[in-house]
Amino acid sequence: MTGQPCLLPAGGPGSRRFLALHLPCLATDRIRRAEPDLPTDQPLATWAASGSRRVLVAVDQAAAAIGLRPGQALADAEAIAPDLVLRPADPDGDAQALQALALWARRYTPLAATDPPDGLLLDITGCAHLLGGEADLLRDALARLQRAGIATRGAVAGAAATSAALARARLDNPVVVSGIEAAVAAPLPLGPALRLPPAMLADLARLGLRRVRDLLDQPRAPLARRFGPELMDRLDAVTGQRRTAIRPATAPPDLTVARDLLEPIITRASIDAVLDRLLAALCARLRQTGLGARRIVLSAWRVDGVVQEVAIGTGQPTRAPAHLRRLFAERLEQLEPGLGFERMMLEARATEPMAAGTQTGLEIGGRHDAAAMAEALAQLLDRLAQRLRVHRVAPVASHWPERAVAALDPHAPVPAMPAGWATPGLPVLRRRRPEPLEAMALLPDDPPSLLRWCGMAHRLHWAEGPLRLEPEWWRARPDLRRRDYYRVELASGVRLWVCRAGPPEAARWLLHGHLP
Amino acid sequence: MSSAAPDAPLDQAAILATLRARVARLEGTGRAPQEARPIPVCDDLPLPGGGLARAAVHEVLAMAPGCGAAFCALLLARTGGTVLWIAGRRDELLAWPPGLARCGLVPANLILVRAERWPDALWAMEEALRCPAVTGAVLALTWEPNPEGDNRLDLTATRRLQLAAEAGGALGLLLRPDTAHPAPTAAVTRWRIGPLPTAQAGAGLDEPRWQLELLRVRGGTPGGPWAVTWRAAEGRLDLEREETASAARASRGASA
Repeated sequence: MTGQPCLLPAGGPGSRRFLALHLPCLATDRIRRAEPDLPTDQPLATWAASGSRRVLVAVDQAAAAIGLRPGQALADAEAIAPDLVLRPADPDGDAQALQALALWARRYTPLAATDPPDGLLLDITGCAHLLGGEADLLRDALARLQRAGIATRGAVAGAAATSAALARARLDNPVVVSGIEAAVAAPLPLGPALRLPPAMLADLARLGLRRVRDLLDQPRAPLARRFGPELMDRLDAVTGQRRTAIRPATAPPDLTVARDLLEPIITRASIDAVLDRLLAALCARLRQTGLGARRIVLSAWRVDGVVQEVAIGTGQPTRAPAHLRRLFAERLEQLEPGLGFERMMLEARATEPMAAGTQTGLEIGGRHDAAAMAEALAQLLDRLAQRLRVHRVAPVASHWPERAVAALDPHAPVPAMPAGWATPGLPVLRRRRPEPLEAMALLPDDPPSLLRWCGMAHRLHWAEGPLRLEPEWWRARPDLRRRDYYRVELASGVRLWVCRAGPPEAARWLLHGHLP
Repeated sequence: MSSAAPDAPLDQAAILATLRARVARLEGTGRAPQEARPIPVCDDLPLPGGGLARAAVHEVLAMAPGCGAAFCALLLARTGGTVLWIAGRRDELLAWPPGLARCGLVPANLILVRAERWPDALWAMEEALRCPAVTGAVLALTWEPNPEGDNRLDLTATRRLQLAAEAGGALGLLLRPDTAHPAPTAAVTRWRIGPLPTAQAGAGLDEPRWQLELLRVRGGTPGGPWAVTWRAAEGRLDLEREETASAARASRGASA
């Protein structure tokens, strides 16, 4: 089945639908995925040092079942469960895993966001019908994550915070219609629904406020005064009074084509074949819309829930499948199929309008024409830029040698040379870092008469100069010193561009370039 | 190819021309199928075809960095189109556009490529030579002592480049330091260029003198060394008369 491009509906915020996924044991599930040899019946937990104490950070379901909980002292936990498997906590790794899962979730919608520390939020407005409805989409996501070894609960609702609260507080993975957010949120317990700090939760419990309903029954003003505006914000979000935006893991693409594969593919040949079809479909779609792609990303979903991405960029908008295939051919080695890819998607992340007919063949009637040549050059530069640094040079009107040239995008037009830019007597090669030399001059301001370079003393036949360059005072670079440039010729005929930098009493001689 | 069939009339001149074209094609000097004229080097040099063949790879051994780079820039500028200058990423010596513009290689025609690794540089050179929109490319080897040595540019690699140049029609130059025993390559010509003392000969350093030597040429006879003067203002290389050249050689020999 080929996925249709996800068009964002133009409806108001009230018409949006959100899918929340809650991953209660992400940290321990991640460890089990990395270490498949761990016995599944043994409890597993992660720990970290908190000051001088060592406490549990995350526990899996088996550990929770025997009474372990995050925040418990490590010594107590080991006393309760002697066979407890312990691993150090890795919050950065967990955050990365969550981000990777958000990328994985883009198989359902382009608007997939992380909901740290243990959740995902998907804006599935207009996407659910592709999988047969919201309930089926939710079931599909839960089943796939379960197969990948990640325990998940989910919920679908008309507001992001409501769906997140339902996913955390209810075990039945509900799908709730829009407009009754307050009603479905009312019976939820405050802890998982609002995700409040533990201290605030304890204060609320002392007042007898344990469920969302209890808060809704209270007058707002005293609550806000007592607990601050954050509580009211969260409450309004959960009841759908206040719309919260989600921040997608990646910006939504301009155009998307995707292909689900019946059998996971592993070999390069089959990946190439799928890519060919995707490219043909994407280029046809680009042609219909009068666009050319500047940046294209190929995403491949692995069977075990890992998403890999390969990106290419082009200098000119293009929709030639052959050219794009060659650009991808350089990069496809980066894909690691593992057990196989089950879905591949091609996205045009950046597009530009493109006139029809500029993609001609290279030769027209055996004769190269100018447009075809420009295109051939653009394609060459695209290919080179995938692997190397390619740039043109922009002449800059500056007398300071390091500033006379600026790197330019290879596809950009080159400005004209300013007057006096290419004066006679300039070197053809410049040293990136001027090389220190030892030089002898008869008088402090004289040109040198002897140079010591590469461990050898060279007598000078001729020296022309000095050409005195002052640093550009309008650029604040106090480390730059005045330089006196000389063009010198050694007795062997080698011609060098040397300079004396710094104040007269502490002058240093530098080799800065090679003359023709 | 089949024009020399037995039933054709015995037009000796035509048969000879056909055979020459065939030999040239077999030798791969790239001259025969291209209508493009060769790149002139210097008016009076006895080169086969009158200059450097396009659609071929040529090798320049430089005794000093400056003169080699200038000579390559000069030749590339004469191709009259877009030119790629491919060098190592961490090379200390950077091609410097203001000086190259003086050689006729203006920034509008120049694209600089920097390769992290040697295989990337070779690949870039091959891709560039194969592209019909590129008229010339130079692969500049590093001057720093490198453990791999110069044998990286071997017969196989240069043969690939030569085939690419024949396919694309570009002038390929391999600019490398002059070492004692350069490995054999598949380049069509091999040049050696070194600086000659200039200043006392007249115009200061504005018109540098070089010693040019044609070490190897396919389908021709090697020659040199010749003493040439580069007249930057006119964009021309002048061959010196024999007596001044030999005097220059003598002075060079004395100073070395």
